[in-house]
Amino acid sequence: MDDIVFYTVEIIQSIIDGVLFGSTYALIGIGFTLIFGAMHKLNMTYAAASLAGAYIGLAFFTLFDAPVMLVFLAAIVGSAGIGLIVYYICFRYIPVEDHLAALMASVGALFFIDEIVIHATNASPLTFPALFDDVMFELGPFGIRGDLLFVFAVSLISMAALWYVLYRTRLGLATRAVSQQGIAAQLCGIDIHRTNGTTFVVAGMLGGVAGSMIGASVGILSPLLTLPITIKGLIVTVIGGLGSIPGAIVAGFLVGALENVFLFVRGVNERDMYIMLLLFVFLVFRPHGIFSRRAERD
Amino acid sequence: MEYYLGIAQTIGIHALLGWSAYVLLLTGQLSLAQVGFFAIGAYVSAILTTMFGFHIVPALMVGALLGGFFAMLVGFPALRVKGLMLVVATIAFTQFVSLFFFNVHWRREVDGVMAGPDSTQGFREIRFYAANGWDTLDVTLFIWLFVLLVMVGLWWLDRSRAGAVLRAVGADDLAAQSSGINLTVAKVTAMTAGGVIAGLAGGLYAHSATYVDHLTFSVLLATFAIAYPIIGGIHNVLGTLAATIFIQGILIEGLRFLGDWRNILFGLLIILVMNLKPNGIMDARTMRAIKRIFAGGKTADSK
Repeated sequence: MDDIVFYTVEIIQSIIDGVLFGSTYALIGIGFTLIFGAMHKLNMTYAAASLAGAYIGLAFFTLFDAPVMLVFLAAIVGSAGIGLIVYYICFRYIPVEDHLAALMASVGALFFIDEIVIHATNASPLTFPALFDDVMFELGPFGIRGDLLFVFAVSLISMAALWYVLYRTRLGLATRAVSQQGIAAQLCGIDIHRTNGTTFVVAGMLGGVAGSMIGASVGILSPLLTLPITIKGLIVTVIGGLGSIPGAIVAGFLVGALENVFLFVRGVNERDMYIMLLLFVFLVFRPHGIFSRRAERD
Repeated sequence: MEYYLGIAQTIGIHALLGWSAYVLLLTGQLSLAQVGFFAIGAYVSAILTTMFGFHIVPALMVGALLGGFFAMLVGFPALRVKGLMLVVATIAFTQFVSLFFFNVHWRREVDGVMAGPDSTQGFREIRFYAANGWDTLDVTLFIWLFVLLVMVGLWWLDRSRAGAVLRAVGADDLAAQSSGINLTVAKVTAMTAGGVIAGLAGGLYAHSATYVDHLTFSVLLATFAIAYPIIGGIHNVLGTLAATIFIQGILIEGLRFLGDWRNILFGLLIILVMNLKPNGIMDARTMRAIKRIFAGGKTADSK
């Protein structure tokens, strides 16, 4: 009996931690989805650019001993800058109908950014400053890590900020118009290239938040993080439904929670295997994602 | 000489991997699952030669067929989604296969030594070539025999009715469907053919490397597999081969003297090529230019 109680408590604890950390997956997923929604193209560089932004923030921390808040800010600005550069070298001048060329170019940019990071850090992991990592909230038998709660709160705030930008500003109106009907938007006098560039910057800012929050909750930054985060972000995007922001948020929490549960039940070697299976389950039974409508396929 | 033969082997195996993605790319689908089938071919054929004493040719055939079989299995659910969803689904498949082999432990005593995949330690001692006295030249010729076979096969496919069907699906699947082409059959067939080629390439790889582990079959390798046909262009089979030589021969081996900077330049060069030649280095225009050169400038019929 005690075993079952212990087991349940541990699983619920895993879910709590997972949901809190899953907010970073949600942010990455939103970024992929935003760019996909605007251009109907996949920007493979996104997660790498987010982490590179976190590295830029970290550089401020190690070189100038900047306060933690400034580190996060530098990460956001850095990641947005990288987003803009990636837009120009991988998407702006490649013809719209050449999906494969743009995808491949963004893969090239992924290699490029990753190698620069490896070059600059000698491929060794670096410690990332965290906030509130010594705080622990007790809730009955459960504990909530202060740093994870902070990560969660920051992620929610950035999601709210994104909602404000998308639905309450002219910029967001233009972005949504371009993503719904590019040509019609152009006929209304919206500069598509400029709007797409702005979307990359907005997504990049979210990525900077995500990158530094990943750094803050994991405690270290390493080039080895790029691939898993890219893959988790893509999975979140697909489970949530391509182009659906609420879907990406829910899927981020879902993937974060289940990942932690699998980690507890089956161990670290098998954990990701089950996440891939989860994706296949979704592809078979709900290929359009959690919220996406049927007509919005592909 | 050994060094150049080694590069030739790598180019051959990677060209096969590229063609396995090329077949599916003809139907307009981008699959990163090819490395998954490559891994299945590698493990299965290596298990057959090391643990059960098979000759390499039947072992490769079994590996290729199983690669094709799994490609078919994956093809049905995965091809329900298309485009970018398929990219993600197939990345997940490759990761899944890689993690699966990471957890496989199946050892068997052969001639007093333990052989077989040893989960985290990888699959060592795949020594068919050495045990049968094949030298590097033999192995290289053996690999390139398959490369030529596949290349001629795909060249023929491109000119056949089946190839036209695949390209029709790739150009506009709605139009193809309305002219009576069964999309699912076309796509799953292409996926299966790609799986067979990838399985074959995997078997060849495992035996010439003599060691495989789950890290070999990474998403990075899957990215390379699609990079060859995209960078080379899918105008014809030669594009993939040209891109393989360009990447493996020139960018990776040729720039080795640059040391660390090579990897940085690598990404930049891919971006540059895609910006300058969005349809691949061997696009229709390049092919016309090449034809003109070979015709000695006499035929000025090109547009």
